[in-house]
Amino acid sequence: MELPIYYPLGLGALLFGLGLWGALTQKNAVRILMFIEIMLNGVNLNLITFSRYYWQTNPETAARAPILTLFVMTVAAAEASVGLAIILSMVRNRGVVEVDKATLLKG
Amino acid sequence: MTTDLLMSGQFWTFIILAVVTLVSTYRMVTTPLITHAALFMALSFTAVAGIFLLMQAEFIAAIQVLVYAGAITTMIIFAIMLSGLRDIKQQQKERVKLWRSNPAVLVVGAVFAAFMLYLYYAANLPAGGGERQVITVRAIGTDLFTTYVIPFEIASVLLLIAMIGAIILTAKEAES
Repeated sequence: MELPIYYPLGLGALLFGLGLWGALTQKNAVRILMFIEIMLNGVNLNLITFSRYYWQTNPETAARAPILTLFVMTVAAAEASVGLAIILSMVRNRGVVEVDKATLLKG
Repeated sequence: MTTDLLMSGQFWTFIILAVVTLVSTYRMVTTPLITHAALFMALSFTAVAGIFLLMQAEFIAAIQVLVYAGAITTMIIFAIMLSGLRDIKQQQKERVKLWRSNPAVLVVGAVFAAFMLYLYYAANLPAGGGERQVITVRAIGTDLFTTYVIPFEIASVLLLIAMIGAIILTAKEAES
């Protein structure tokens, strides 16, 4: 018997929830970036799961979900590189890595 | 749950990979050392790549290992090493505070996951039947360079801009 679709979908939801919890509790900017990657990974898992159960039967649409996932990964990589560069320059200029201590714009 | 499902290797492979993913992601939140968090993130990504293999998306599994477990983890570890984060002791203090000061955040994450699980359960999704096609890298490449060529080029320009932006953001500091 085949694996029901609920198991991988549930794993994706749990991964997103854990990532959300981590991203909102942590104060270190690098850790927040890591949890955003985890959340995007959960979304990718859902995309691939739906593709495997419903789209993969049609040869016309079979390759679409991997392409969409590829674009999500591209955006995640771009976001991680720019985010880490911003964090590095913040650490060098102001010496803080905690997001609640970066209060330059605070009135 | 039928015994048929409990006998299948697919089910147990999925359960093992899911447990590895969830435990390593949970440890990412609670571990006091940030390098350990990065390594747990790599473990989580690798386990999700295994689930992609189980979902018959071999190309995406390979890209997951290359991009996430390879490139992004390396980049984050490099950033940790370069920035010289000396907040290890402080992180440990914050970890104790994590449970007491932020119950609302835990509730937000748990409620979201529970809501999605309920939604999937209540949606009564139809069983996907029929003959499954094998998604070859050839098919993905053909689609990528014909139907989706403009998004593909935009994605490559996005990566180029991100690279230039990262170089400008970090190299300007090195001069002064």
